[in-house]
Amino acid sequence: MKRARVNAGILIGAALLLIWCLLPIVWIASLSFKPVEETATGSPQFLPKTWTWDNFSSVFQNDDFQRALINSFGISIIATVLSVALATLCAYAIARLQFRGKRLVLTIALAIAMFPVVSLIGPLFDLWRTLGLFDTWPGLVIPYMSFTLPLAIWTLTAFFREIPWEMEQAAQVDGATSWQAFRKVIVPLAAPGVFTAAILTFFFAWNDFVFGISLTSTTNARPVPAQLAFFVGPDQFNPPVSTLAAAAVMVTIPVIIIVLLFQRKIVAGLTAGAVKG
Amino acid sequence: MIALSAAALASLSLLAACGDDSGPPELVWYINPDPNPPDGFPGAFGQAGIAERCSNDRYTVRTELLPQSATEQRIQLLRRLVAEDSSISLMSLDPVFIAEFAAADLLEPLPEDLASELSPATLQGALAGATWEDRLVAAPLWANTQVLWYRKSLAQRAGLDMTQPVTWDQIIEAAAANGATVGVQANKYEGYVVWINALIEGAGGSIVTDTEAGPDASVDIGAQAGTEAAQVIRKLASSSAAQPDLSVSNEGTVLGPLASDAGGFMVNWTFAYNNYAGGPVQDDLGWARYPRTVAGEQSAPPIGGINVGVSPYGEHTDLALDAVRCITSLENQVTYAIETANMPARQAAYDDAELREQFPADLLDLWQESIDTAGPRPPSPYWSTIVNATLSRWHPANEVDPTSTPADSASFIEDALKGRVLL
Amino acid sequence: MSTETAGAPPRARVTDRSRSEERLAWRLVAPAVVVMLAVTAYPILRALYLSLFQYRATAPDDREFLGIDNYVTVLTDPLWWRDVWNTVLIMVVTVGVELVIGFAFAYVMWKIIFARGLIRTSILIPYGIITVVSAFAWQFAFSLNNGFVNGWLPFMDSDFNWFGQHWSAMTAIMVSEIWKTTPFMALLLLAGLSQVSGDMVEAAQVDGASWWQRLYKVILPNMRAAIMVAVLFRALDAFRIFDNIYVMTRGAQNTESVSFLTYRQVIEQFELGLGSALSVLLFLSVLLIAFVLVKLFRVDLAAARRES
Repeated sequence: MKRARVNAGILIGAALLLIWCLLPIVWIASLSFKPVEETATGSPQFLPKTWTWDNFSSVFQNDDFQRALINSFGISIIATVLSVALATLCAYAIARLQFRGKRLVLTIALAIAMFPVVSLIGPLFDLWRTLGLFDTWPGLVIPYMSFTLPLAIWTLTAFFREIPWEMEQAAQVDGATSWQAFRKVIVPLAAPGVFTAAILTFFFAWNDFVFGISLTSTTNARPVPAQLAFFVGPDQFNPPVSTLAAAAVMVTIPVIIIVLLFQRKIVAGLTAGAVKG
Repeated sequence: MIALSAAALASLSLLAACGDDSGPPELVWYINPDPNPPDGFPGAFGQAGIAERCSNDRYTVRTELLPQSATEQRIQLLRRLVAEDSSISLMSLDPVFIAEFAAADLLEPLPEDLASELSPATLQGALAGATWEDRLVAAPLWANTQVLWYRKSLAQRAGLDMTQPVTWDQIIEAAAANGATVGVQANKYEGYVVWINALIEGAGGSIVTDTEAGPDASVDIGAQAGTEAAQVIRKLASSSAAQPDLSVSNEGTVLGPLASDAGGFMVNWTFAYNNYAGGPVQDDLGWARYPRTVAGEQSAPPIGGINVGVSPYGEHTDLALDAVRCITSLENQVTYAIETANMPARQAAYDDAELREQFPADLLDLWQESIDTAGPRPPSPYWSTIVNATLSRWHPANEVDPTSTPADSASFIEDALKGRVLL
Repeated sequence: MSTETAGAPPRARVTDRSRSEERLAWRLVAPAVVVMLAVTAYPILRALYLSLFQYRATAPDDREFLGIDNYVTVLTDPLWWRDVWNTVLIMVVTVGVELVIGFAFAYVMWKIIFARGLIRTSILIPYGIITVVSAFAWQFAFSLNNGFVNGWLPFMDSDFNWFGQHWSAMTAIMVSEIWKTTPFMALLLLAGLSQVSGDMVEAAQVDGASWWQRLYKVILPNMRAAIMVAVLFRALDAFRIFDNIYVMTRGAQNTESVSFLTYRQVIEQFELGLGSALSVLLFLSVLLIAFVLVKLFRVDLAAARRES
């Protein structure tokens, strides 16, 4: 009897969870299928009255948006690969080696993770102009790396601590150097953790807005979140709701695919070592 | 190590940028967004079309889009010009920002011959918005102004004689009495200050004067004209003629309500005509001069538009100045006006047969008259400070109090100009 | 990584091997540290320097040394304190609501025996979605002209303008923020829940403890570390709120946050001096909040191996 009630509670909870998480997604998808007239003043119905693909075709025809998509993918992937590579080295050292200043490194990573990004954009704009990095891919890759490294380092350190290091020692006993032991034995074992860190890092870079609007000015490097402000509607003074929604759906699809494929890994990554001392 | 790889990456991107040296130099023209072209429009539209027509064997003009809002456009351009960016050659600029750009030496003055050609040919109102310290620093591409748009049937029901000048009080009362609304721009943005400024100018005052003094300009918003303006805003905001989204309204949100069954009045720029032309309310659509703030005193319609300026830091300043000549030519202004309903800045364009076919003759006359008798926003290098300070006290409209808001905002604007407060 | 093992090895055991290990360690760590500092250290030092000047980017020649005057201007300005209050309010409300919803979701994920993949996938979508997209989705949902919220809430007037008043605009912003970040909170709490020993809960149940008693006496105390870590990271994240405000209100109706104020001064107003002072104060505020949370609630930083 009691058991059944608890189960019912869980069931209701699960239903609410699904509604809460998916309703806005359904909403934005629904908007993306509405004809422009239905998104004008005084049309508050949830689902489209008539369905249309027009919004998607106008997004597809928008060259600037396509450039932004390429920018976002390119910059996020480069930043992810570089960041995870550096983080892997760093996390290995932290999880495995004894050295002075380990606490300092962890504190720096934590401090960066907490850093208010807006504090930087003024000086960074000047610096990037001087170095010729303004409105270029590297100009975004570098800050994305800085801000995703802490996340990647924390996640990877947690993963690395689970690895049976005896195997590495065994390899060293067999005559391998620290570096060989790392490369031959540990890298394959660490790959799943690295992969998880990569997904989380990619999400961060994909999501960024502040750097995107401050450090770019043309479609050379402008990423998708910043490009969304450039859609022109039926009048020039308001965003075109349905076109924007179609663009939003398109940039959400990669997220959904990644989540569908890798949900187990992402959950593991987000929860790994979060509470274990 | 990181600095090194950063430098390597940077030089890579530089290499990519300098990849094709063949062909004529490229002039990059930063443009404000044009309206969407009609379905099936052949070729390039609006400013992109102009760029294409003005490219020749000496240079190509390529357009690069700026964000939607005027404020954002200013930020983008100003930041890069302050940093002496060489990748901007030409830019489409709202006239209110001319003073700030020119005072900071970020606009190349037009050569004598071009200036003396443009001066007599261009509408006075538009010319004033492209001039700083008696020098023409940009060439007007088109001139914008606001008129009062209304539904003829409603004016008739309300017994308003629209052939005579009307006041804000009259249209607010007429709309309220007939279940209709008055559309204005009152979101927290530049457009709301356009309205406030027009109301104050219409009452014979100004937000600020003596703007050459920079931070020491005289702030006059607290005077009687400011009170008159606040009274109009107060009256609309507390009336049933106010649209429910008053505090977030802009030029686009007010278009729908005018076409609704309730109908109403609306002040809006010239582009609004295209929104109704060929639609169901076309025959019922009327236009009149911008409403008066006080009875018996002529209104001061807002003026806007776009000027094309040349960056002093661009790589081919001489070619860019040459391109300006083509971009703002009579033919291009006419074509642009026909495509977008953004009206020409050149006087002669209004006599163009094709233009007169596209727009009603009395409307064209009204626009010209409005541009020539407009009450422009004060040209100040500190305009954006003045705008933000004004908005901070006058937004939202329903909290405007004629007895305190004008005086309160006057002292706040003064403090803001002197850098004594956060904006 | 527990902090005890983080220190230097005892002097007595400094051998060639440990010295080479230390060299290797620093070689592995250095690139990451350099990149992290490259983008943060110089700008914040530069901001510190510029904050001592009256300096407007459009009038660089009028630059003038002011000392701490910019800080005095900011700290005596009502706008600063209003925005601090807004930001703290957003932080407290969103983190509070997220704790409750996030715990409920974590509990569901913990207990549920079927459709786990579906639940996990659904909860990860808001986590992965772009904040700007979330802001647009909710802005349109709350919109007076084409949103569904007014129609769905029975007690709401159909022409209620959510972005027309302070409180309703703040609500809309917070809903978007909460929607986007609750999954993060829920997953951290799930990690905490899975640390709670099932035996202890069952023992309590055998002893006749009600569900609430089990929750308060057994489950929550045992996942304290997880809760505190989640609160710390979400609080710092919420304090930096920017994207939602930028998209939804642009600070109108007094919905401005400290980040947005700083952005406006530096980017929109070109007030590099005053803006830099704000940047520094924003940075110090974040440090202060981190310090208070860590000291007051004794968050175990060694356990805090996560970022938002």
